Amino acid sequence: MVDDVAIQVEELIKRYHDVVAVNGISFKVNSGEVFAFLGPNGAGKTTTVEILECLRKPTSGKAYVLGFDISKDQREIKKRTGVLPQNFNTYERLTVKETVQYFAGMFDKRPDVDGLIKLVDLEDKKNAQFHHLSGGLKQRLGIAVALVNDPELVFLDEPTSGLDPKARHGVWHLIDGLHKEGKTVFLTTHYMEEAEALADRVGIIHNGKIVALDATDRLISEYGKKNLLILRQTTAKAVPTIEKLGVKANFDKNSGDVTVHLNHAVAVSDILHALSNTDTPFGELQLKRSSLEDVFLNLTGESLGEENEI
Amino acid sequence: MSHVVLDLKASVKTFSRNKSTMFWTIAFPSVLMLLFGAIFSQSTMKYDLYVQNQDMANGNGTYWSQTLITVLNSTNAFNIQTVNASINATDYALTNRLSSLMIIPSGFNDTANMAIFTHGLTSANVTFVYDQSQSSSAIVQSIVTGIVDKMNFDLSNGVNYLKIEGFTIAPRRFSYIDFFLPGVIGMTAMTTSIFTAVSISARFKENGVFHKLATTPLKRYEWILSRTIYNVLISFLGMAVMILIGTLVFNLKIILDAVSVLMVAMASLMFTGVGMIIARFVKDPDGADAAANVITFPMMFLSGTFFPLSQMPSFLQGIAQVLPLTYVNEGLRATMIFGQSQQAIFNTALITALGIASIIIGSLITKWEED
Repeated sequence: MVDDVAIQVEELIKRYHDVVAVNGISFKVNSGEVFAFLGPNGAGKTTTVEILECLRKPTSGKAYVLGFDISKDQREIKKRTGVLPQNFNTYERLTVKETVQYFAGMFDKRPDVDGLIKLVDLEDKKNAQFHHLSGGLKQRLGIAVALVNDPELVFLDEPTSGLDPKARHGVWHLIDGLHKEGKTVFLTTHYMEEAEALADRVGIIHNGKIVALDATDRLISEYGKKNLLILRQTTAKAVPTIEKLGVKANFDKNSGDVTVHLNHAVAVSDILHALSNTDTPFGELQLKRSSLEDVFLNLTGESLGEENEI
Repeated sequence: MSHVVLDLKASVKTFSRNKSTMFWTIAFPSVLMLLFGAIFSQSTMKYDLYVQNQDMANGNGTYWSQTLITVLNSTNAFNIQTVNASINATDYALTNRLSSLMIIPSGFNDTANMAIFTHGLTSANVTFVYDQSQSSSAIVQSIVTGIVDKMNFDLSNGVNYLKIEGFTIAPRRFSYIDFFLPGVIGMTAMTTSIFTAVSISARFKENGVFHKLATTPLKRYEWILSRTIYNVLISFLGMAVMILIGTLVFNLKIILDAVSVLMVAMASLMFTGVGMIIARFVKDPDGADAAANVITFPMMFLSGTFFPLSQMPSFLQGIAQVLPLTYVNEGLRATMIFGQSQQAIFNTALITALGIASIIIGSLITKWEED
């Protein structure tokens, strides 16, 4: 283990009777990065993260968290990591402030409780009891609780699952803040836009196996579709005009749209200029970028859907 | 230890802010006690006492044997049932599953006269045949002993040369509420401890609180210790409220000593362990409540909480003998109402042993982390 590696996993396997939830995965997470474990529900994300949190025992394989062996050094790992489980819950009738104080006490720490509450923007709710908070506020409190021991590494398991878009973006903002503070964040999610927005690197897990692992841009570049330019309400003569530039284009008679398969050789501005020079009309244009969804589809033949969690 | 205190404080805060829990723990038993007390406070509580008088003369009991029976009858503590002097008393007690039978032996009158004449150089003895598996036998025996001692004191004109010294149980009328108070304290300790242990464990398991706690340095045994102390404190609170109502509303003379306090603490420990064992096998909070009801409801009615065991059919009395709440109720009755702490020691020891066993089993099978 070198100091700049926060997590190292080697040939990790977890079986539940006949079901193989995690099937011999190996990967590293660098210190200070946001690493997203992306996959559909049931892919093995939660099982993996719970093994790394020392909550489950692996069937075989090795894993080191902050240099500590998960099979021997659970106490050291727990002292140095923060965990936001899926759907954070606690004593329902403790207030926000009491909840932070309670968990801080469990770590024998005296953090700046008000500062943590301010960090997650719950100052107005600090005297509200937990059961009165919305799902988004509970998750934000969960993040504050995950930080009470000033951890080097934070595990966030599906931090925005079930939240509305506004609450989701609030949590993203907090995770981005943790990244800027230099903390290592291990994030599991089945939202590809979440991984794209937050992660430095993404590991895609499917049926217990890692099918791809790289920086987000590189994954899209390598495994995604080409970017598309769609010209609405145009004519068939746009196709030869565009193809003269060295890119492929298709005309859809029914919609009157032309779809252009972009490549690195041609800029969108060149296409627009050519259309203008030939007086080819078009109503509007739409640029479709390839995403991690396309990467996942390309790699697994499936889309990221809601399945049963293991 | 700081983790235990921290979790205990969180639990107490949660309790104090939860009106529903407060109702079921404090208000409900109080209402029950007030209602039952108001309905049955005029009725006296009597135990069956079987008496075989072998000291007969001309077909009638001798003077002292008849006097003893009359005094026992006058206390209103017993329904005196006469057993024919010609039959084998022990066989009769066994056949009829009697909890206790008093035998006044032949010559009792002469021996009593001799004892009075010699100022205690001899003594007149009665034989007490009892079934120690039936908890009411200890209570009956203790009342009879107290009454006989009182007679001895009266006969000796205040000169204390009898061996039982300072044993001053006075013949006293025991009302239903005397019977009910220890029962409702035992019942509260049971329901509070089982329901709290079962529902908290099931809820924390389902909503992921155990999962979160497992990621902190808090140890499982620290949490279990905190929950156990919490349940004991809540049971003490219930006990205090019941005693207050019993004293202020029903003018009961309640004896609160170390044995009764220990009994409530150990009962709470035992039922917390039972709750944890149940919680291990239920899948969700709804199932937990149902399972807790299945355990507590029959126990509440079959353990002599509301009515004496002697009033139940014999097969139900047999069932009562294997229910731990029976021993809690009878032990509390012996010490709090009859002032017979020594009679409650067996029950307290039994409940302590069961408590330690159940809490150890409960602790071992309660899991936070998955396999």
